[in-house]
Amino acid sequence: VNSAVEPPGQAPIVAAGLAIGILLLAIQLWLLTVALDLFLGGHGDQVWSLALISGVIFIGGLLLLWILRRQARVARGWSAESHG
Amino acid sequence: VSAAERKRWRAAFPYHWDADDLASRRELLRFAVYASGALFGSTAIIAALGMLRRPTTTAPQAIARISDVPEGTAVYFNFPEAETQAMLLHLPGGRFVAYSQRCTHLSCAVYYQADRQRLYCPCHEGVFSPETGDPVAGPPQRRLEQITLSQDGDTLYATEIHP
Repeated sequence: VNSAVEPPGQAPIVAAGLAIGILLLAIQLWLLTVALDLFLGGHGDQVWSLALISGVIFIGGLLLLWILRRQARVARGWSAESHG
Repeated sequence: VSAAERKRWRAAFPYHWDADDLASRRELLRFAVYASGALFGSTAIIAALGMLRRPTTTAPQAIARISDVPEGTAVYFNFPEAETQAMLLHLPGGRFVAYSQRCTHLSCAVYYQADRQRLYCPCHEGVFSPETGDPVAGPPQRRLEQITLSQDGDTLYATEIHP
């Protein structure tokens, strides 16, 4: 079989990434509700800081995805080597 | 299963069957990042709208003569349009403030109750502070729209309305 076998330690990393990602999603959802509340309350000029935090979280997510993809490529290389 | 089919299957799903849960978690993670992008986009749109929104400015509109509004009373008027009701309050202590009469809960008319020093919405018993327009009781969560006042001689004018 030349497909990827789960390398040691890979599954917990993905699970941890997922758990953190879902937590950050919940924070982003909360930020969105606060932003909407501020906007409707006439304090729309204060929302940019919330958008900034949300953007940082999104960029963090993209970075995490990129790191995991990179790791998966390395893992596939490891798998191909170990299984000939 | 033929060798060709197996090869095609492995190309479409290049994971060992022990690792298929890993693949689905990766898919979920990717979906989470897309959702994160959508949430960021929504917040950014709200932020942009907030930056663009400016108070509604109209030509100054005469509301009342100061001498005609005794302390602890209110004058009701229409501003900024003929259909939108507003109120001018002469608070104890001499300060004048003006708000939209529209309740921020479900848009019923809000009235000044001088004896209880509160702005009261009879529809759902919402209460606002006459000093700031902030909600203090009942279902409303946001303050009343504020009207900027200016004075020229003995006359008070409404100039802007802030959401």
